[in-house]
Amino acid sequence: MRSPASPRPRRLGVNGRWRASLCAALIQGSPYAAAHSASDAYLNLSIRESAHGAPVIEGQWDIALRDLAFVLDLDADGDGRLTWGEVRRRWTEIETYAYRQLHFDAGPGNACSVEPRRQSIDDHADGAYAALFFEVQCAHAPQRLNLDYRLFFAVDPSHRGIFTLQSGRDTTTAVLSPQNASLHLAL
Amino acid sequence: MHPPYYSAMRPLSALLGLSIILATGDSSAGSAALTAPTAADLATPAPPYRAPYQPTRDDEVLQEVPAISDPAVARMTQLRKAFNATPQDLRSAIALATAYVDYGRQVGDAHYAGYAEAVIAPWLAAQPVPSSVLLAEATILQYRHQFPEARKLLHASLNEDPRSAQAWLTLATLDMVQGDYTAAGKECVQVTNTADVALGLACSANLRSYTGHAAQSLALLAQVQAQGGAQSVGLRAWIEGLMAEAALRLGDWPLAEAHYRAALQLMPRDNFLLVAYADFLLDRLRPREVLALLAGAVQSDTAFLRIALAQAALHSADAARYTWIMAARFAALSARGSDFFGREQARFALQLQQDPQVALDLARRNWQVQREPWDTRLVLAAALAAAEPRAADEVLEFRRRVKLEDPIIDDLAQELRIAAGKLAGAKP
Repeated sequence: MRSPASPRPRRLGVNGRWRASLCAALIQGSPYAAAHSASDAYLNLSIRESAHGAPVIEGQWDIALRDLAFVLDLDADGDGRLTWGEVRRRWTEIETYAYRQLHFDAGPGNACSVEPRRQSIDDHADGAYAALFFEVQCAHAPQRLNLDYRLFFAVDPSHRGIFTLQSGRDTTTAVLSPQNASLHLAL
Repeated sequence: MHPPYYSAMRPLSALLGLSIILATGDSSAGSAALTAPTAADLATPAPPYRAPYQPTRDDEVLQEVPAISDPAVARMTQLRKAFNATPQDLRSAIALATAYVDYGRQVGDAHYAGYAEAVIAPWLAAQPVPSSVLLAEATILQYRHQFPEARKLLHASLNEDPRSAQAWLTLATLDMVQGDYTAAGKECVQVTNTADVALGLACSANLRSYTGHAAQSLALLAQVQAQGGAQSVGLRAWIEGLMAEAALRLGDWPLAEAHYRAALQLMPRDNFLLVAYADFLLDRLRPREVLALLAGAVQSDTAFLRIALAQAALHSADAARYTWIMAARFAALSARGSDFFGREQARFALQLQQDPQVALDLARRNWQVQREPWDTRLVLAAALAAAEPRAADEVLEFRRRVKLEDPIIDDLAQELRIAAGKLAGAKP
């Protein structure tokens, strides 16, 4: 998948919070908090067992504020500085826009819905992201999970969804793109 | 006519198919499939960690975004409106896509190549693809260092419209980047035939700076400038940049600097020029000036690498943090499946991670893709640092064959000869 020779041969062990640790508060203020490369969003799912044994599927979806600003014109005063107020007032719209592009099902006859839980801001190495927290709820306890991801593809086909699934000690990762917008996961 | 997008900013490169990696094991390495340099690897302090948070003040600035007050942004907005009003109109699509690519290239932001691609997508999907769309897509792919794909589209575009000077110039530039100077020479002739003598002359002059005729290159470029051959600010800045490069080949540092400054006066934010001038300053051991020069360009990965290099050269307290962030940016690119941005990565490994083996491997792989003087230089420097002088043989042979001039590369080649001699002496 990657060039075998990239100079990053070692791995990051940060209790699954790899993204958060890449982000780092040092991003606050200049000179770090600027956008740069192509558009990425980070979709992390984790599966754990509830008290009665049914799987609970929780998600955190980090979407770059600058990408959201482009499609939703978030910078209300157009001054080039996106403030918390400008984001906060548009949270509902941000959520509606994003969740319309993400769908789950657990096979025929087992529909699933995305239930928004809360939102935060999450700092990444290339800027601030909206962090959307949600739960996936299916009609019956799912054995598998199908995911369909379309975020930003219509306005920027070079957008990628960096997907991570944590289930117990296992981690699955994938790169979601217009050519590979669906995932089929065995739980 | 636009200056060609050579030495594209950040190769994003081909997207892989979906790959699922199942990593089992130690949960403390929870995200094993996604890799990033650890703090320990980079000998940096542990990254300041902050969990997702709720800002407390409405006026807290979370993110810089392009401001409407920027004329380039206002123009894109205007073109977007025009395009939205007539989404079937090819001309307004091309105008918008071109504006996106130009802006992205200027500020070193790859998002805009993606926006441009979305605009031309309907025409790319239908047959036959108009030549202007083939050219626009080729430009985007070249920007992402997808050179073979870009070349294919340029040929297709020229097949449709052999009189497109922009396509010939783009192809000539691609061949220069990849070191095929014979092909580039022919394409420069086509630029002359299809555009005007001045642009063709600039093309050929640029070519000469790679093949042992840098003095001639400078004289020809000066002639183009003197005759007012380049009309637009962008083209004038491009030619000033080429003159700076030709002066570098000759080792005439004051002249190179004068041309970089002249180019930046014309295009103060141009990422390519900023980075090239920063490299010049780093070579001249003037890292402090790099920080001032690039203060407004931290959003670009290529610029950020030069800031990190300057911080390291200054032994500043922040140096390790800049290196760490640069590594995190590479890791993010890697996670998205961008497989190769070799020149920057090789330099990062060589100069900031002090890992000559990895640097050599990256530099050699990069050299198979692009062969500009910096690419050549990195192979030589890495081979020397890794004490593997013979690993540079192929590159040295290329240098001899094309008669590449460059005092810094000459010194490296000389050192490699000595190192190879010592090695041969030690192992008879």
